[in-house]
Amino acid sequence: MPARVVVTGIGLVTSIGKGREEVWRNLLAGKSGISPVESFDTGRHAANLGGEIKNFSPDAGFRRLDPRSVGRASQLAVGAARLALEDAGLADDLARIPAHRLGVAMGTTSGEPGMVEDFDDLLMAGQLDLIGPEIATLYPSHVIAAHIAAEFGCGGPATMLPAACAAGNYAIGWSLDALRAGRADLMLAGGADAFSRITYTGFARLGAIAPELCQPFDKNRKGMVPGEGAAVLVLERLEDARSRGARIYAEVAGYGLSCDAHHMTAAHPEGDGAARAMREALRHAGLDAAAVAYVSAHGTGTPTNDRLETKAMKRVFGERRVPASSIKSMLGHTMGAASAIESAVCSLAVAENRVPPTINFAEPDPDCDLDCVPNEAREMAVGVAMNNAYAFGGNNASVIFRQLA
Amino acid sequence: MDRVQVVVSGAGAISTLGAGGEEILQALAAGRRGFSPLASSPFDPVKTGVHWAGLLAFAPEEHFGEKNYRVIDRTGQLVLIAAGAALADAGLDPAAVGEREVGLVLGTLFGSVNTIAAFDRRGVEAGPKYVKPLDFANSVINAAAGQAAIWHDLRGVNSTVAGGGSAGIQALAQAFDLIRGGRSKVLLAGGAEELSLEALFGFGRAGLLAKADAENPPFPEPFGAGSAGAVLSEGAALLLLETVESARQRGARTLGAIRGHGAAFDPGQFRQEEPAAEAIARAIRLALEDAGWNADEADLLVVSASGIPRLDRCEALALGQVFGERLATLPFLAPKRGLGETLGAGGALAALVALAALRRGVVPAQAGFGLDPEVTALRPPDRAARLGGRRAILVGLGLDGAAAALALEGFAETGGEEIA
Repeated sequence: MPARVVVTGIGLVTSIGKGREEVWRNLLAGKSGISPVESFDTGRHAANLGGEIKNFSPDAGFRRLDPRSVGRASQLAVGAARLALEDAGLADDLARIPAHRLGVAMGTTSGEPGMVEDFDDLLMAGQLDLIGPEIATLYPSHVIAAHIAAEFGCGGPATMLPAACAAGNYAIGWSLDALRAGRADLMLAGGADAFSRITYTGFARLGAIAPELCQPFDKNRKGMVPGEGAAVLVLERLEDARSRGARIYAEVAGYGLSCDAHHMTAAHPEGDGAARAMREALRHAGLDAAAVAYVSAHGTGTPTNDRLETKAMKRVFGERRVPASSIKSMLGHTMGAASAIESAVCSLAVAENRVPPTINFAEPDPDCDLDCVPNEAREMAVGVAMNNAYAFGGNNASVIFRQLA
Repeated sequence: MDRVQVVVSGAGAISTLGAGGEEILQALAAGRRGFSPLASSPFDPVKTGVHWAGLLAFAPEEHFGEKNYRVIDRTGQLVLIAAGAALADAGLDPAAVGEREVGLVLGTLFGSVNTIAAFDRRGVEAGPKYVKPLDFANSVINAAAGQAAIWHDLRGVNSTVAGGGSAGIQALAQAFDLIRGGRSKVLLAGGAEELSLEALFGFGRAGLLAKADAENPPFPEPFGAGSAGAVLSEGAALLLLETVESARQRGARTLGAIRGHGAAFDPGQFRQEEPAAEAIARAIRLALEDAGWNADEADLLVVSASGIPRLDRCEALALGQVFGERLATLPFLAPKRGLGETLGAGGALAALVALAALRRGVVPAQAGFGLDPEVTALRPPDRAARLGGRRAILVGLGLDGAAAALALEGFAETGGEEIA
């Protein structure tokens, strides 16, 4: 019997607030964090909406590193990690766990793209001589996990799983294995991505960005909205959490990974890989599909994703309409942070028997005939929640959260 | 104890010193350096101030024939080549193995940074309407792993690991864990890295590169006196890993087995030698413990040292702490002396070279090696050394503070009979 692993802390930095309480309250209230982009000029793009975190001040997260010496994704991530440790009651008491037993696993889509954008601006301006000596050590995406580990003095395994928009789930799955194998006693696991000119340009060029609203599963949905954010979960073995009297949100019951091997940016037309990831997660958790009460959908709001995701869910759940909402309707698509934030949502749904809505829902789509929890949060029994995430490269990851029996 | 055994049944690589472990080992023995001048390459020394690197010259059409490889960028092509070679070496056709069963775990640091930056500059200069959607698909860090999955029909776990300079070893470790944990049956695992203007400029600006100019090539010397830094290089290497049962069922020849791994992080990010060495030593000891080996049972050491004095000193100190006086007689390889610092590819290239040496049971003499006795107790490999057994420890370090180690056992030519 493998060790049971639980979520004991949740740290969130999002466009609708910071910290577990504020973000969860706003998610349940259906608050949107989407607004016109301010961090760069969108005049030449065919879109102008984004899920930016406005007026973000990195200082609160940092004690040891200089927040201005790291990129924005690291700033968001370290902020989320500190909030998670505070939430777990460990921010001032982390020394109770030996440093070499503290590990970090983070996901991202783009790492620190701001570093490349700065480099490009100076290269184009013929001013490369203005670049400091740090760029080589601040750009590679591993720095996000490294900065968390350095800030909090973690000496255990520190890794980065850049599986694009499924990366947060990859990091949580990796951490589950690390805790079960006894490679660490506490893992900080999550994902982070900063708002980026590169990412925005790409989605705009694909014609994927919604002009007015992000409306997952709605018949008139017109696209996704790029966002940013970070989420970190504190994960521990159940026995350790109990012995320190920790508040436990949920058990991480299992995870499943698969690859479409079909297309770089489009999902498999029959939802093949997505369905395999869900089934593998259920098998790993030792659960039947019938046990799943709530699904945090990938639900980007693009016409194709939502239709194929519905197909994939039907392959796993049959005709049962499992409540499946998309918080991307509120936050936009926070890339590598998305499935980490959604893992926090699943943990809280399981802890409180409430699920957040899909906002902006007006007209049902026969191709997406899910119960997407339209517009209003719902109180319901959530014994088991599944978090689904799909990424460029055909990378699929599902994680299952369960109420402690 | 009933442990799942994870064997290596194939290997493939592309590097500036050759495509196979044996070839690279021969080149290292001869003291060859796989570095080329960058003048008239895509990486203009006028922009970066860096004149030499481990630049690969390869003709994609020789590897991909008529298939449309133009949709795949440089990192992706390197991974496809290594994956194709590893699958061929293992005699494995993923389509014949059945869905879910073959996957890929890939280590990389910079990903397709050439594509990312070119996409960004085109968006700014020509305008966002003029960027290529395909370039955007290749801009995510997991793009190469996704492209390789499509090309070779790998539908199992597909994971990219960006663990600093230890990414390659971390990728091998993750694959090893997925297989011994029963999550996967067959995985390609290793790493890849492409050269880029950004990396060359950044490493140069950070003072991490060996001295050189247009006329005089660099000579990075791991643990060496007067070495000023490493040489950046590109390459890719993948091992095919599977359970021993799977290999037996296929009648596959086996090259070796992964026995354990360890990872640690230095929160001081390798700025101070003592805490850095402690973290590196911990990663090595964890790998030994995972494998059930004592430190004195290691027969071969494959070091991470690349010629960057700060990192090399930390590693040397850690090796002294773990192996003590045995260092003076412990055979070792320092692949980055000839291959350069291939970042995400380094751990997997090191594994290929290690397997070649373990298969022979001999580490060849390595010409002209200039170890600094102030730095390390390792002895210059002036003569060929016969290995006492077939157990190797590989070390991987990154600038960011991550350390990883792998316990790798090699098999003799006869292969599977040595499986316990």
